[in-house]
Amino acid sequence: MTDHERDEFGDLLRDVERLPKSIEPPRDLWPGIAARLATAGPRRAWRSLAWVPALAAAAGLVLLLVGRARGPGLEASALAGRPQARGAAITRPTTLVAGDALSTDDSSRAHLRLSIGDMDVEPGTRLRVLAMRRHEQRFALERGAITARVSAPPRVFVVETPSAVATDLGCAYTLAVDSAGNGLLRVTAGIVEFGSPGRVAFVPLGAAVPTYAGRGPGVPYVNDAGLALRRALERLDATPGDRVALTAALAAARADDGLSLWHLVSRVDAAARGAVFDRLAQLVPPPADVTRDGILGLDREMLDTWWQYLPRTVWRQGL
Amino acid sequence: MTDLIRRAQAGDEEAFHDLYREHVGRIYALCLRLTGRRDEAEERVQDVFVRVWRKLGSFRGESAFSTWLHRLAVNVVLSERRGALRRRLRVESVPDPAALERPGRASTAGLGLDLERAIAALPDGAREVFVLYDVEGYTHAEIARHCGVAEGTSKAQLFRARRLLREMLGR
Repeated sequence: MTDHERDEFGDLLRDVERLPKSIEPPRDLWPGIAARLATAGPRRAWRSLAWVPALAAAAGLVLLLVGRARGPGLEASALAGRPQARGAAITRPTTLVAGDALSTDDSSRAHLRLSIGDMDVEPGTRLRVLAMRRHEQRFALERGAITARVSAPPRVFVVETPSAVATDLGCAYTLAVDSAGNGLLRVTAGIVEFGSPGRVAFVPLGAAVPTYAGRGPGVPYVNDAGLALRRALERLDATPGDRVALTAALAAARADDGLSLWHLVSRVDAAARGAVFDRLAQLVPPPADVTRDGILGLDREMLDTWWQYLPRTVWRQGL
Repeated sequence: MTDLIRRAQAGDEEAFHDLYREHVGRIYALCLRLTGRRDEAEERVQDVFVRVWRKLGSFRGESAFSTWLHRLAVNVVLSERRGALRRRLRVESVPDPAALERPGRASTAGLGLDLERAIAALPDGAREVFVLYDVEGYTHAEIARHCGVAEGTSKAQLFRARRLLREMLGR
């Protein structure tokens, strides 16, 4: 510090020296970090779901650490009509356990209260309870629709469908499927991993993804994606090598559709990947540490980094 | 290199959680002062530790872990702020957003001291240089590299920041 600086700013700089070097955050930030560790980082093997058990174990540890779980429990009640469980109508709150099934007809609805959230079961649904443990609350949605709201460490709440598995990463969503496995997942908070062997979609709030019998999840899109893009994505979901559909998708995409193009990067074959990169880079310029060669080589860390730069959806109070 | 770091490098999340607990206060203070916003600071702290998890394998112990972490944190915060200029936020309506996600807050509540509040109120560029130079002890050359500006710009921003702070604090 010069003499002039000492004269002019001496008091200020003495106060600065007394500032604390450490400030505890006003809330526990670890659960949010733990959730992201599960979906980011070089230790992840995205191509398979073999890492799910290990991450579920980690999530269980987090669950214990943050002390958020009240212990597993599942209570079903009727919202409308006469939903069925254990071969009888639900007329009062009923505890369900692993192995039980709940079904609704065209005029009935049910509500499930879990230790980590709750779920509405819509008409025409059959839902089985596969596991009800502290670190794993797993269901099979055989047909119909549910709306789930979950507040738990990632990978605790899992819903299997005939064509894909929805793994909660801290979120709320609606999931509807038919008995063959065709359906739609729409996310209203947080993020959901929706996967089948060899194909995974990451669906954040404000986005949806179709799923198809025998193929698994398609390419996610934001809720206000244009019809031309959706049609092109449907064709690519059926035939990833469809060059005409790819050209149409790239032409129709906006910056807000970066989510779709980000997924397309790893869905299309290597020969088409450059065109997807170029269009996505035009709409959402990648940061300096994300290179074309890296993305063409499906470098996981670069893809993760670019993901952070995609336009994000936030919610505001409706009028 | 400590056993804790080695275990975290090997993928032990429990060890990484211990590292987080050990360093989060220091990193939160840095992020809070660099951003001037509590909500943004919380997000950046999370970004920092996710990045640390990814990069931990490259830490060879050539410097103190706290130094390596601190540099990485500065990079994360400044990169995010530059990136934010290029991004736009999608906004959608929903009847009851409270049922979905915690809304962002622009409040500086919790910053506490008058000086902290004054630092938070500085223009972005001036605040970043002030925090890095006067609070964290970086040189102008280092700040110039981190912020992508000339050294002269860093010096000018520092002078501007000090002047503004002195005025805000009534000195």
